[in-house]
Amino acid sequence: MMFGLSRSTQHRTQFEALLAPWLDPLYASALRLTRHEGNAQDLVQDTVMRAWRFFEKFEKGTNFRAWIFKILTNTFINSYRRNTRERSLQDESERQSVEARFFSSELTEQTQNPEAHLVDRLMSEDVIKAIDGLSIDFRMVVILADLQEFSYKEIAEILDIPVGTVMSRLFRGRKQLQKVLLAREELPASPAIDLNAFRERKKLA
Amino acid sequence: MNCRDLETELTPYLDGELPAGARVEFEAHLASCPTCPRNVEVERHNLSMIRAAAKAAAPVAPEDFKLKLLASLRTDSERQRRGRLQQLTAMAAGVTLAMVVGHQAYRSHQRRLYEQDAAMRHARQFPLEIEQSPEAIERWFGGKVDYRVSVPRFPNARATGARLLQVRDKPAAYIRYDAPRQMGLFVYGDDHDVDVGTEPAMATSNGYNVVSWREGDVVYQLVTDLDEQDIRGLVPGSQPAPSESLPPQPTTLDVRPASFQH
Repeated sequence: MMFGLSRSTQHRTQFEALLAPWLDPLYASALRLTRHEGNAQDLVQDTVMRAWRFFEKFEKGTNFRAWIFKILTNTFINSYRRNTRERSLQDESERQSVEARFFSSELTEQTQNPEAHLVDRLMSEDVIKAIDGLSIDFRMVVILADLQEFSYKEIAEILDIPVGTVMSRLFRGRKQLQKVLLAREELPASPAIDLNAFRERKKLA
Repeated sequence: MNCRDLETELTPYLDGELPAGARVEFEAHLASCPTCPRNVEVERHNLSMIRAAAKAAAPVAPEDFKLKLLASLRTDSERQRRGRLQQLTAMAAGVTLAMVVGHQAYRSHQRRLYEQDAAMRHARQFPLEIEQSPEAIERWFGGKVDYRVSVPRFPNARATGARLLQVRDKPAAYIRYDAPRQMGLFVYGDDHDVDVGTEPAMATSNGYNVVSWREGDVVYQLVTDLDEQDIRGLVPGSQPAPSESLPPQPTTLDVRPASFQH
């Protein structure tokens, strides 16, 4: 019995050591996925407990970060699909060819515009809002690629989609972000936004 | 490569995901195109702005949340460990049970072998070595076996004689009764080879009914062709096997030395 005890403790210590560097990134990603602090904590908690229960299945020496992010996105998708009515883009747009998606006229127009240069200091708050405004499929790839800097291959494995799909979603997601952010720059900000933007500038100054 | 191709590959190019060959082509086009470099520069700039802003805004997990999380991890780990321990305990219990059942099976198999051998030897009708009164029979056995042999008195049955027999290499005192029907009684010194309690257990073997029971340090096996009903009258408390599960009934069979029996 002593052997069993020490082995399971050792097992947990090992898991905790692998997990520790990724708790903050997991939480940051969970927050962008759920857009709510309490839900983000629940999501990370669920993810970690699941990962712990399946830890025996994790092949030592392989990519722990990709492994646990896969559990995070799966956990999120499962509870998300249960809890919300937001429709997945996959159904409508995945049927179109990659080509057609890349060249949606509306989006290419935007890139062709030489004025479409975002100001040098974007407000984090605005970017967060723009990301949060993305549909779930785009949001997931943007979080994984631009916030967590996973490779296309890793994202494909995490989300269980082809690399081509990762690429096209990333393309479209980013285009949408730029569009929203550029529109924000052009529009006179509402007073509430203005106040926040003012605070942000003051903080940065 | 044309401007349209470049647009398709812009995303992987900016992410450093374009394979080497494609990248060379991509850059060759950039070097010769009047409009694409500007677009690529804008895209690169915008992407880095967005990434920087998103990362700057990335929160860290609250400290109390992390502590809570690690605590529940420990609780779960402890629960798992206990679960495994319970599994082990259950497994050990299973093994013990299997051993007990196996041992029981072995023991009842052993008794069965004695029942068979006793029935067979009774059927052989070996000549008796002494044909005298019960008291004389008891005396005759004195010194021939390591245990005291008394000749039980059965209602309506009379001991006619006796001899020594080997039952499965075990010395046995064999006493023959001849009324109302012939029966043989085997008396063994108890070394627990025959698994039986004080309550008589009945079985059939080689066409005979065999009743086994224990009296102190001695085991008796009665081999007879009487039916169960008659045996019950003969050996009080005898039940068809397995009778061990029933509450034991006191045997009233008199196994005191013949001289004390009336």
